[in-house]
Amino acid sequence: MVMINNKVKIKTTNLNVYYGDKQALNDVNLEIHSKEVTALIGPSGCGKSTYIRCINRMNDVIDICRVTGSIEIDGNEINKKEIDVVSLREKIGMVFQKPNPFPKSIYDNVSYGPNIHGLAENKVKMDEIVETSLKKAALWNEVKDRLNEPGTSLSGGQQQRLCIARAISVNPEVILMDEPCSALDPIATAKIEELMDELKKSYTIVIVTHSMSQAVRVSQRTGFFHLGKLIEVDTTEKIFKNPNNKMTQDYITGRFG
Amino acid sequence: MNKDQLLKKRYGAEKRFKFYGLVSITLAILFVIFLVNVIFSKGRTAFQRTTIAVEVNFNTEELELSSNASIEEIQDADFYDLSINSLLKLYKTEGAKQEKELLRIFSPDHDIEIKNFLIKNLDNLNKNVIVNLTTSDDIDQLHKGNYPRHLPEERRRISDFQLLIYDQLVKENKVNKVFNTFFFTNGDSRNPEVAGIGGSLFGSFFTIIITLILSFPIAIFASIYLEEFAPKNRITDFIEININNLAAVPSIVFGLLGLGILLGTFDLPRSTPLVAGITLSLMTLPRIIIPCRASLKAVPPSIREGALAVGASKVQSVMHHVVPLSIPGTLSGTIIGLAQALGETAPLILIGMVAFVVDIPATPIDPSASLPVQVYLWSEQAERGFVEKTSATIMVLLSFLIVMNFIAVYLRQKFEKKWS
Repeated sequence: MVMINNKVKIKTTNLNVYYGDKQALNDVNLEIHSKEVTALIGPSGCGKSTYIRCINRMNDVIDICRVTGSIEIDGNEINKKEIDVVSLREKIGMVFQKPNPFPKSIYDNVSYGPNIHGLAENKVKMDEIVETSLKKAALWNEVKDRLNEPGTSLSGGQQQRLCIARAISVNPEVILMDEPCSALDPIATAKIEELMDELKKSYTIVIVTHSMSQAVRVSQRTGFFHLGKLIEVDTTEKIFKNPNNKMTQDYITGRFG
Repeated sequence: MNKDQLLKKRYGAEKRFKFYGLVSITLAILFVIFLVNVIFSKGRTAFQRTTIAVEVNFNTEELELSSNASIEEIQDADFYDLSINSLLKLYKTEGAKQEKELLRIFSPDHDIEIKNFLIKNLDNLNKNVIVNLTTSDDIDQLHKGNYPRHLPEERRRISDFQLLIYDQLVKENKVNKVFNTFFFTNGDSRNPEVAGIGGSLFGSFFTIIITLILSFPIAIFASIYLEEFAPKNRITDFIEININNLAAVPSIVFGLLGLGILLGTFDLPRSTPLVAGITLSLMTLPRIIIPCRASLKAVPPSIREGALAVGASKVQSVMHHVVPLSIPGTLSGTIIGLAQALGETAPLILIGMVAFVVDIPATPIDPSASLPVQVYLWSEQAERGFVEKTSATIMVLLSFLIVMNFIAVYLRQKFEKKWS
């Protein structure tokens, strides 16, 4: 039996996103619950990635992007000008589709975040943060003897775990994952999924995925997006066994998408 | 057409295409070989200087010096008579005409050469010493085998008597070829045998330093701002187009600008590396901004996103990640821009760097020549000595350009990082 947590961490109300004239998200109302994994599924271009990029305001980077509606984190509105995106992103980490370690040493990759936020007073403290982050990302044993080697020298799966370590190094509350396994082989994917199971004990995780089986394996709650609209959201069990919506049913059974 | 014919046609087209490419490459290589060969065969001899061994008696009485004269006293002394007497001892002459012809075998500044020799070797005072004195340009060329000595006497500048002396001196092993240090240390001169590129080397050096100091920081900040921070709108599009246009503006236009504004309005000193540097920075700026922006653009967006996602501010993500990654491209772009500036002639002519400057500039506000302008100046001279020096200067200039381009390529390949 899956544990369902009822504390809402992130709540979006009437969220609309426009890229220029094109509307990418249409009135999305979604609640993401604390300390569980929420999977977002749907065909390509349906707005899942756009949705999670709203949560840490990564869409700000795109000049033509406009976001309206409300995004609350722990009840605090973050979709407004006065919010400092730097401290917001410190609280909400992100892992991208393609592993993107900095072309620096493994150590520097993990220490970068704590460094710019001043989380460690000295080298000893920093070593500690780097070690715990790498351990939490299940990478420590593989890299502890070569922390000074470039992060880009690792394998794809290791690079992605390094990116996860980098994301958790600043002690976020939420981790957003944008198709984190789409560039990885099944073994590396299995490792990351295993890791997510562990991470959800301390973090709220939102994952965008194209793999239905992955959604089933890792998530407690699943949202189905189609053409910029949130069609249905429920517990993963319910969505995959007995969805309310015909479209959801068709998508998960592979009839379209 | 059936399948077989189509296949044959395709193979034929491929073969022809490869052949055209091969022909183009071969032609290009042949042109380069031809160019290098012409320059090298003409300029090679400029790196040697012909000297004649002359016995000089540094008699303090004749020089009106005390036996322990200081350098300053020697500096002020008149060496002319001593010099003339030493030279005339070289060969028996009859009459003033022959004396004059004997003296003309040597470069006109022989007395200064003797003085400089003594200053360098102070212990030779009151001794009989052999000094190697520079010959005149004609004798220099004769010794290098470039002089048409078979012509009838009235059609050459070297007289039969001078040829006689020369042949005698060669027999006595007194005529030598030495490495031409004058070429690198002397300034320009009316006498090709002692003319050098020392002045233009310094002039070019100061010019390039000023160009670097002015254009590098401006170009870097302009490209970082335009690439990373500026909103993409009509104004930035307009700026972008204009930067590209400026890079294609003929350099002489920048010379006119320098002439009109720097010399005209601001009244800066004419023919100086300062003005040249400012003018060339204007020309170089767009040529550096374009590769700088390209190398910033080449940094994958995922690096920026990665930095932003851990909570780096925009400036931090740019300064900590994007800029360091773009440094190889930025540096090589800058070096290539500077190499172009180093070889630029037209704008310098307009701001008066064609002036005949003998002194080696000590500061960027002294009048000076520059390497490409020196080539231009000497190429107009008729003397064979200047012809070889023109080619030799081109060789020096080309080697600077090759070294700079090599450094640029090296930087790009060595420090270019792979992203993932």
